[in-house]
Amino acid sequence: MRTMDQSEMILRAVMADVLGLGEARATALTEASELFGALPEFDSMAVGTVLTELEDRLGIIIDDDEVDGELFATFGSLLAFCRAKQAG
Amino acid sequence: MEQLLRHGPEGSDPRVLIVPPLFEEANRLRRTLVQTMRALADRGVASLLPDLPGQNESLVPTVAVDLNQWRSGLADVVAAEPGPVLIASLRGGALVDDGADAAGWWRLAPVPGATLLRTMLRARVASDREAGIDSSIDGLIGEAGHSPLMLAGNMLSPAMVEQLQEAIPVETDPLCTVALGSGPSDVAGSPLWLRAEPGEDDAMAAAMAESIYGWMSACGLR
Repeated sequence: MRTMDQSEMILRAVMADVLGLGEARATALTEASELFGALPEFDSMAVGTVLTELEDRLGIIIDDDEVDGELFATFGSLLAFCRAKQAG
Repeated sequence: MEQLLRHGPEGSDPRVLIVPPLFEEANRLRRTLVQTMRALADRGVASLLPDLPGQNESLVPTVAVDLNQWRSGLADVVAAEPGPVLIASLRGGALVDDGADAAGWWRLAPVPGATLLRTMLRARVASDREAGIDSSIDGLIGEAGHSPLMLAGNMLSPAMVEQLQEAIPVETDPLCTVALGSGPSDVAGSPLWLRAEPGEDDAMAAAMAESIYGWMSACGLR
């Protein structure tokens, strides 16, 4: 089984909690999985909630100008962002 | 309060006043809170769940209320009860539960007002962007200094926005603060207040009731 780094574990947990995906759907997300515009649960309120929870659980600060449409395009784009922020 | 849901045996002391989360989080958790009231009643404990003005079924416009009004409204509810009251507040409810003369406080996952506000501001910026409108968190906060702000379906007054920016849960005594988790003093469950589509969790409601009941006993109220 593939090992996950801390960023990925936390991101999957946030997605499961906010989108109510359940463990199976959250585990099935791949880097190519489309998010905003593809998952019906992923509305603007969910965007706000995901950002705030990621800040809280990853111990990072996300600036307003770091958030654009591309960030939420796929699970992979969001994961790459989380890893870069955590690496500081 | 315009509406106060009561459940459990009449005349039993102490009563539990449940202070729900604020704004959208309250809607997401409401059903689980009612399940918690039923679980408390199974233990012979009566509980109350108020509609804060401007929330849930209240006819008061949200723009007409702020945290100070919610705090004094809750104090009035406690003062009107004939016996001791234990307050059980969730998330942002912990920001307004400290004005009441309660016999004890139990809080689950309390959250600073700034965190709630930031989530709502981000939702507004994301929905503006979808509509092709360029907005920013700083710009919206600036706007809120002089006029009401529509955030995630809530029309918030300048006073409400200002109070949310500053509000943190105030220490009360005796206070038991509980987190979600798997530890002995934690409540097992998931953060339903974050979930885009509201769910329910009967097991979590039972765990909340058990934790509240345990604190009530530890405070010598039972």
